Amino acid sequence: MATLEFKDVHKSFGAVRALRGISFSVISGEAHAVVGENGAGKSTLLKILAGITRPDRGEVRLNDAPFDHASPREALAGGIGMVFQERLAFPNLTVAGNIFAGREITGTAGRLAERAMRTRTRALLDQLHLSIDPDMPMENASAAVAQLVQVARALAFDCRVLVLDEPTTSLTDAEVEHLFRILDDLKKRGVTLLFVSHRLPEVFRLCERITVLRDGAWAGTFDRGTTTPDAIVRAMVGREPPARVDRPAVDLSQPPILSVDKLARAPIFRDVSFEIRPGEIVGMFGLVGSGRTEILETLFGLARPTAGRIRVRGADVAFRSPREASRVGIALVPEDRQRLGLHFNLAIRHNIALPWASVRGLGPIHRARETKTADQMVRDLSIKAASTSAPPESLSGGNQQKVVAAKWLATDPSVLLLDEPTKGVDVGAKFEIHNLIRERAAAGMACLVVSSDLPEVLALADRILVVREGEIRGELAGSAATEEAVMRLATHEAVVPV
Amino acid sequence: MKALWRARELSTVAILVVEVLFFTWYLWPEAGRSHPFFNFGNFLLIFKYSSIYGIAAIGAAIVIISGGIDLAPGAIIALTTVVTGYLFVEAGWPLWAGAGVGLVVGALAGLLASFLIVRVKLPPFIATLGVMGIWRGTAFIITEARFYDLSSKLPPNWSIAGLSVDWLGPIVMIVLAAVFQRLMTGYQWGRSICAVGGNETAALFSGVPVNWIKTSAYVLSGVLAAVSGVVLAVVQGQGKADLASGYELDIIASAVVGGASLVGGRGSVAGAVLGALIFGVLRNALPQIPGATFYDRLIVGVVVIGIVVMDQVLTRRSAAN
Repeated sequence: MATLEFKDVHKSFGAVRALRGISFSVISGEAHAVVGENGAGKSTLLKILAGITRPDRGEVRLNDAPFDHASPREALAGGIGMVFQERLAFPNLTVAGNIFAGREITGTAGRLAERAMRTRTRALLDQLHLSIDPDMPMENASAAVAQLVQVARALAFDCRVLVLDEPTTSLTDAEVEHLFRILDDLKKRGVTLLFVSHRLPEVFRLCERITVLRDGAWAGTFDRGTTTPDAIVRAMVGREPPARVDRPAVDLSQPPILSVDKLARAPIFRDVSFEIRPGEIVGMFGLVGSGRTEILETLFGLARPTAGRIRVRGADVAFRSPREASRVGIALVPEDRQRLGLHFNLAIRHNIALPWASVRGLGPIHRARETKTADQMVRDLSIKAASTSAPPESLSGGNQQKVVAAKWLATDPSVLLLDEPTKGVDVGAKFEIHNLIRERAAAGMACLVVSSDLPEVLALADRILVVREGEIRGELAGSAATEEAVMRLATHEAVVPV
Repeated sequence: MKALWRARELSTVAILVVEVLFFTWYLWPEAGRSHPFFNFGNFLLIFKYSSIYGIAAIGAAIVIISGGIDLAPGAIIALTTVVTGYLFVEAGWPLWAGAGVGLVVGALAGLLASFLIVRVKLPPFIATLGVMGIWRGTAFIITEARFYDLSSKLPPNWSIAGLSVDWLGPIVMIVLAAVFQRLMTGYQWGRSICAVGGNETAALFSGVPVNWIKTSAYVLSGVLAAVSGVVLAVVQGQGKADLASGYELDIIASAVVGGASLVGGRGSVAGAVLGALIFGVLRNALPQIPGATFYDRLIVGVVVIGIVVMDQVLTRRSAAN
């Protein structure tokens, strides 16, 4: 029996046809995955389920009744609970306050029934095997706890269908396992799961059926038992994934462009030393909180080191701002594209041109050169945008990420620092971004890729630096490194001599 | 994007035109009499008084687009009339020198606000609220309840280059609006103001000199308020500590009606000047309607809300399409 049914759903945003006739159904009590590249239509589908937007044509049916809700609140009341990728929590409220936000239990004259909510929260958290205090402020919650509180919130509203949008992006493996055990448990209790993810191993671990979307259209629904991850990837991108690219050996006789010597920023990291030569891709792997992002930010002039030296082409440098760093050819493609990367009030073209133009000063804008630079980047990176005069809002996540990369590539840096360059982007965009990094390295750029995505680091890097608790714990040759070796260094093993 | 800006300014012009047409129709005189509203002398009057708000609104718009707010312009206007008046009337300096010192005082006032915001990291609302009190208070301390009578020392029917002094404000306003409109749209400085207002952290990561940009916004707002003050001192013929009280809100309202978004990142200098003119027409025409005297503040309030709501509805509709 189908719980949730999509019948020929169409949705357009301006000229962009986000969904073009999606039809599939989710069977009651199953875990159903929806996968697809960014821009495939997953987000739009989720927005319809969340009651944020409505289809232009076609119908969504929930338990054989039309599901057509005008607001997120109605959708929630209709039995669909959402767990979003971002932490949509109120950091200033407690855990209980977050769970009941917007539907508080009230007593006479609207007085908040704090005790009732606390009791109910504790019961919900117990169901999730989560031993946290209902009165804990949400700002103290880790990403994993925040994710589970969203699940608890959905359960508090008696949802029959739980929709999860990339819930594991910021979780560690152990936390993912915990979440999945809870989801298995919910499934046994009859909750239908709709799971949206890029991580195919997780999809295969959790879901019985997998629906693939491609370019806003339905590209197939597969049974876990009769398909393989490779087949799913082929359906997503419609082509074979490119094999790992062999790169020519780096010329070690060349002097390094960037050398870092015993760099420290107390108390976050210390004694960080490494060199990058032109044409080299160095991977830096570390778990969340290991200090990897802070190392990049210090190299880019966003924070001052407390000890050590940074040299660019042999000359000592001490940057007071990103502006000074970019003047000597250092570029940082930051991790959080929404917060650090993009201006949603500026045109895509002006976003791309911003660092390029800022290095040049505050004088007159050369519109023709600006447009030429931006359009060149859009072509080079094959950014799919209807118009570069529109703000980047309209772009899919992968294309937004490419715009962030384009901003810095336009400055033609000699040292390219990338922080989680493919976080939250789909398989296709990931391959493209990897190839882009390889191309730039082949052209002589020195690249430092910081990532918590181990296969990515292994696929890209010539050398891998492993960071743990603010120190470099080891260096491995990219070709010889294995997942186990890197992970051992990142988690517990003592320093190995290089 | 550029088309959008242009459309936004066009709609402000349209509101102004509709407003003028409305009052022209409403105040249509009996046969044989001259029109009390639609005549050249009255329009010059509207421009003359609107320019006090309009010049300062240019600065307010820049600050608002950069993601801040400036509550100090009214106080800076008053202080400038006092400083210019004191130097011109009491100290016997030439007018241009007094006015020059007035502008320097405006720049220093803006510098103090930007220091509190950029270095001490106070929220702009609090910083400029405090600064407003400091400059208003300074003006009172200097004058000790007196006022400086500039008009007695200015030649009667004073004219500059053959134009009556009434033209001073309008011309200064139009020239400054043109200059800053160009700086905001055609210069990387203006782009940086938008970038800082839209996403300050991303601007910092993009190599925009964020602190410098914010400082420039508040200093310019101070200088432009001081220009308003000089114009007011000359037009009104007075230097007085309680002049221009409450102007800061009208100035902010002008910028907002002209399309500036209080969350930052959006707005237009030309729009702010048009906004000041929309209010100028209201202030000029409403008292001419019999019985409307007590209603004019209320009507002004309703108009502010009406225009901003209309703008949001239009923006949402164009975003939905």
